[in-house]
Amino acid sequence: MTPHDRFAPPPEPPVELTTVATRAPAPLPPVAPSLTAPSWLVRVIGLVLFVATLVIAVEAQRDVGLARDELVYMGAADSYARWWIDVATGKDHALTEQQITAHFGGPGLTDHNREHPPLMKTFFGFSKIVLHDKLGVASRITAYRAPSALMHALLVLIVFGWTVAVWGLGEAVIAALLTLFLPRALFHAGLACFDGPIATMWVATLYCYWRALDRARWAVLAGIVWGLALATKHNALLLPFAIAPHFVFVAVRDELAVGRGDGSLRGSWFARCLRGLGRGLRRRWYLPMALIILGPLTLIAVWPWLWFDTVAHVLAWLKFHTNHVHYNFEYLGENWNAPPFPWHVAVVTTLVTVPAATLAAAAIGVGAQLPVAWRQRAVATTAPGLCLFLSLAASLGPFFLGSTPIFGAEKHWEAAIPSLCIAAGLGAVWAARAAITAIGEWWPRARHAVAVPLAIGVVGTLVAGAAAIETAHAHPYPLTHYNAIAGGAPGGADLGMNRQFWGYAARGVLRFLGTQPPGLVYTHDASPAWGVYAREHLLAPGYRDAGWEEGGIARSKLAIVIHELHFNRHDYLIWSSYQTVQPVYVLRFDGVPIVSVYRRP
Amino acid sequence: MIGAGAGVPSDRAWAAAAQHVRASHHRGELIVFAPAWIDPVGRLHLGDLIPIDMAGRLDSARYGVIWELSIRGARAPETRGLRPTASARFGGVTVRRFEQPAAEVLTDFAPQVARATVSGARVRGPDYVLAEVGFSPHRCAQLVPAAGGAVTLTFADVTLGSSLAIGVGLADVFTRRDVRAPATLTVAVDGRELATMRAGVDDGWVRRTVATTPGTATVTFTAAAIGPRSSNRLVCFAAEARR
Repeated sequence: MTPHDRFAPPPEPPVELTTVATRAPAPLPPVAPSLTAPSWLVRVIGLVLFVATLVIAVEAQRDVGLARDELVYMGAADSYARWWIDVATGKDHALTEQQITAHFGGPGLTDHNREHPPLMKTFFGFSKIVLHDKLGVASRITAYRAPSALMHALLVLIVFGWTVAVWGLGEAVIAALLTLFLPRALFHAGLACFDGPIATMWVATLYCYWRALDRARWAVLAGIVWGLALATKHNALLLPFAIAPHFVFVAVRDELAVGRGDGSLRGSWFARCLRGLGRGLRRRWYLPMALIILGPLTLIAVWPWLWFDTVAHVLAWLKFHTNHVHYNFEYLGENWNAPPFPWHVAVVTTLVTVPAATLAAAAIGVGAQLPVAWRQRAVATTAPGLCLFLSLAASLGPFFLGSTPIFGAEKHWEAAIPSLCIAAGLGAVWAARAAITAIGEWWPRARHAVAVPLAIGVVGTLVAGAAAIETAHAHPYPLTHYNAIAGGAPGGADLGMNRQFWGYAARGVLRFLGTQPPGLVYTHDASPAWGVYAREHLLAPGYRDAGWEEGGIARSKLAIVIHELHFNRHDYLIWSSYQTVQPVYVLRFDGVPIVSVYRRP
Repeated sequence: MIGAGAGVPSDRAWAAAAQHVRASHHRGELIVFAPAWIDPVGRLHLGDLIPIDMAGRLDSARYGVIWELSIRGARAPETRGLRPTASARFGGVTVRRFEQPAAEVLTDFAPQVARATVSGARVRGPDYVLAEVGFSPHRCAQLVPAAGGAVTLTFADVTLGSSLAIGVGLADVFTRRDVRAPATLTVAVDGRELATMRAGVDDGWVRRTVATTPGTATVTFTAAAIGPRSSNRLVCFAAEARR
C-alpha cells in the first residue's frame, strides 16, 4: 500500500451486489466489507446475536401482561398440538374429517381460531407441552411464548447473515442489534401471537428468494418458507408484491446489461423489457415455479383444516380478513373505526415508534446508497437493496389505501422494519467512514488502519446503544412508549396516539389489587386473562372476575379501566355504579395513565 | 429517552397542587384538567370534589369559578378566553383559578325527563343517564327512535329565561361505528321551532344556545334518526333554560 493509498478516502461501501453481464446466473460476487473476519468468527457472532436475542426476548416477556388475543391462541395451541400427538401415536380416527374439525375448525367463523393459520399455534402448543408439562423448565405462559422469542432470534440472525453476506460485518452487527432493539418488535417477540413470527417468516422468504436468484437449490427452500409464512399469518399473501417486481427488475436489467455488452440491444425499450422478462423466466423458471407450487402445498400440508373442502376453507379464511371488523384505534387525536383512514398512518406511526437513532441512521444509509445505486443502474444485478425496499413497500402499502384496518398499528407492518434496520446499519458505517475521512483532512494520523473499524465501533455503539436504552426504557409498556420525535410517551399522548391495546397492561395493577379488600373485580379488557393471572399466582386469591359490562360492574367491589380513548365509556359506567369519579390508583408509564383502579365506596 | 417522563409531574406535585385547591375550593366550583389524557391522575387527587353531575355537565357556563390544573403548558377548553384570577405552580402542575359570570339555570330538562310526555316510535328510552358522547361524559336524556323515525318529548309549563342551552350527540362508540347514520334534535317553544341540530357519528357533543322569551312555556325536543338504516341511534341530549 502506497502512502497515497493509505491516505486516500476510504472506498465507498458497496450497496449492491453487481454481477457482470453474463447469460448465466452469476454466483454471489465478492464484496468489500466494512470489516473483515474469518468465517468462523462471523458464525460465532451470529450465534451470539441469536442466543442473546432469544434470552432477552424470553426474559423480557416475563414482565409483560397477557394480551387478549394470546388467550385465544393458547387455547387453539393446546387443541392443535393434541391432534398432532394423536396422529403421531396412531390414535383411532384422528385423521378423520370429524376429528380434524373438532381440533381445527367448526361451523363458526372463529371456531378453534380457524380464521388464523396454525403454524405458530402448533409450535405454542408443543412448546407448552415440552417446556412446561414435560421438562418443567418454564412457566406455562413462558412456554407458550417461547416459539415467538425463538422466531425473533431467527429474524435477528437472518438480518445479520443477509447483511454480512452483502455488505460487511460492521453493517451486519449494527443492523442485527437495531433489529433486536426495537421496543415494539421485542414486545411482540414475547407474545404467543403471530406478528413477530410473520416478520421473521417474511424476511426469511425474501432471503431464500434472493439466494435463489443465483443458486437454484434455494428456490425449493424459498417455496417452502413462503408456505410456512402463509401458515403463520395472512400478511404473507403480500409477499408476491415484493418478490414479483424484483424478479421482473432483475430479469429486465440483466437483459439490458447483456444487450449493452454484446451490442444486441434492439427494439423499443418496452420490447427489450419484455424480452428480458421472457429470458429471465426461462433462465430462472425454477424460482416462480417453486414459489407458486411449494408455497400453497406447504400451507396445506401444515394446516389440516385445509385437507378437505380446501377451496371453501381457504376462501373462508381470506374472507374473514377482507371483511374484518374495524376495531377502534386512536390516531392523531381521533378515534378511527371506519374507513377511510388517513393515508399516512403507517408512515407517521413508524416515525414515532422506531427508535429515533435507528431512523436517523436509516435515513443516512438510504441517502448514502442511492447515488451508488444510480451510478450502477446500467449493471446487471441481483442486489438486495431494491428487494428490501420492495419488502418495505409491500408491507406498508395496504395502509395507504385508506381501507385497510389500522388497529394494531406497527405490528401489522413489522415485516417492513428490518429493511430500515439494515439501512441503518449501512448508514452507521457510512457515517463512521465519513467521519474518519473528515477528521483525516486535518489530522492525518486519524487515517490509521484501525481508525475505520474503531469509528464503526463507536458509531455503532452509539446508535445501537441509544436504541437499546430506549427499548429497555419502554419495557414493559412499549405500546405506550413513543420515540424522541414524538416526545416520549407524554408526547405520544399529546399527539393523541394510541395508548395501548389487548389489555396487557392490567398486569401492572395486580399487585395493587392485592392490597385492597378482596371482592369481585370488574376486569374490563383483561377479562380473558383474569383466570390465567389467578392460576399463575400473579393475582392474589379473592379477586374473581365480576363479569361483563354493566352487570359485572354492578356486582363488583373493585373495577379497572384500561385506558384507550374508546374505553372512556367504561369509566363512566363505573362512575354511575360507584357514584364517584375518583379512582384509588392510576398506573402510569412515564406519567401517562394506562390503567385506573376504582373501589366501590 | 430515559427522561421522557420528566415532563410529567410526580404524585408529590399533584398532591401539593391538590392541597392548594382544597384550601380555597368551595362546593360547586368546577375543576378541570389539561391535557385531557391526564384526567385520571387529576381525578385521583381531586375526584372527591367532582360530583358526577359536574363531570357530565352540558357545558361550563353555570360555574362561576373554574379551577384548572394543567401540565406541559396545556389549557382546558373550559377556560378559553378567560383570564386567571390566581395562578400557582407545583412541580410542573399549574393551578389557575378563573371566574366568570355564572349562568343561572331555571330549568334543567334532562333530569326531568320522566315528567315529559313522549310520542313517536321508539325502541327504548327516554332515560336519564351518564353517557359517553364524543368520548366525554354527559348527563343526558337518552332515547332510541325507531330507524327513520322521530320521538318527541314535551315539557309543559316550564320556566324559561332569556336563553336555552342545548347539547346533543350520539352515545356509545360501538353503535356509532356499526351504524353511520346521523340523528337530529329539533327544539321548539310553544310550537315555534328554535333550532335543529345535527349529530353525526363523528360530531361528538354538539352545543348551541338559542334566545328565548322569559316566562312559562311548552318546550318540545324531537329526536329523529335519519334514514332507513338509522337503527340504534342513541340520541343523548341535555338542555338548560338560563336566566
